[in-house]
Amino acid sequence: MSDFSFGKTADLLKNAIGGSGLNQSAIANNIANVNTPNYRRETVSFKEALAQSLGAPPDPDQLSLAVDNPKHIAFNEGIEPTPYTTPPVKLDEGIEMRPDHSNVDVDQEMSLLAQNTGYQQTMAQILKVNYQQLRTLFTENP
Amino acid sequence: MPGFYSSVDISASGLSAERLAMDVIANNIANANTTRTPEGGPFKRQLILFAQKPDAAAAQPGAATPMGEQGGGLAGVQAVGIVSDQGPDKLVYDPSHPDADTNGYVHYPNIEVVKEMVDMMAASRAYEANVTAIQDARQMGQATLSLLQA
Repeated sequence: MSDFSFGKTADLLKNAIGGSGLNQSAIANNIANVNTPNYRRETVSFKEALAQSLGAPPDPDQLSLAVDNPKHIAFNEGIEPTPYTTPPVKLDEGIEMRPDHSNVDVDQEMSLLAQNTGYQQTMAQILKVNYQQLRTLFTENP
Repeated sequence: MPGFYSSVDISASGLSAERLAMDVIANNIANANTTRTPEGGPFKRQLILFAQKPDAAAAQPGAATPMGEQGGGLAGVQAVGIVSDQGPDKLVYDPSHPDADTNGYVHYPNIEVVKEMVDMMAASRAYEANVTAIQDARQMGQATLSLLQA
């Protein structure tokens, strides 16, 4: 993995595409195990990992406390961005709805699959436009 | 590190497992009236057992993978066995049948064809769900590859 970067947007989109690929594997695994008794569905919360890597600014609608010492608590200071890490695969201990003690709902998985595919394609399209803009910069064409 | 199309492998394991389930169900329907087997007695209904496939990469000690820490890994499904249903045989009174017992009852397999048809529909729908997952994974791969021709 190279550390070369085309900017924050490209990095974010790259992580989004990677996360949706991992999510696709988790959903495919849930669908493959749709008839496995006692199976627990698996989830990948890659959107939370992306949000953490972005951080969050302070809420403009809330007042913040003045601080003049690092030990003071400011409240409403936003979330510091942290480097992106690949999200872990988690087990969903949700409600069992089936007599074979599996908690896979195939309708839910199929809709998540469609959502994930659409999300990934959207991110890929935006990344493509991003690269096209860079290409315009690099091309020596009036 | 999972491959570019690792989710296709996962869905493919689902396809082969559901196809094997279809084979077992077809065999049950074909043998719904079989009163003789090499082991003696009528045919017994066969059941297929599915289990989550263990993730080989996560099972290795010190594997630097985020998968499998809490989840069971993402490796798909496998059929771990085909077992006989030990339910009671269906008894039909027919003293003239060559396989009738001393009381005149013929032991038929413990197979309900309607039940097998329902199981077959479930396997067929699960197969279709895996096919859709493969199609979606292919679309995602194509979207990623189209970045190269921007």
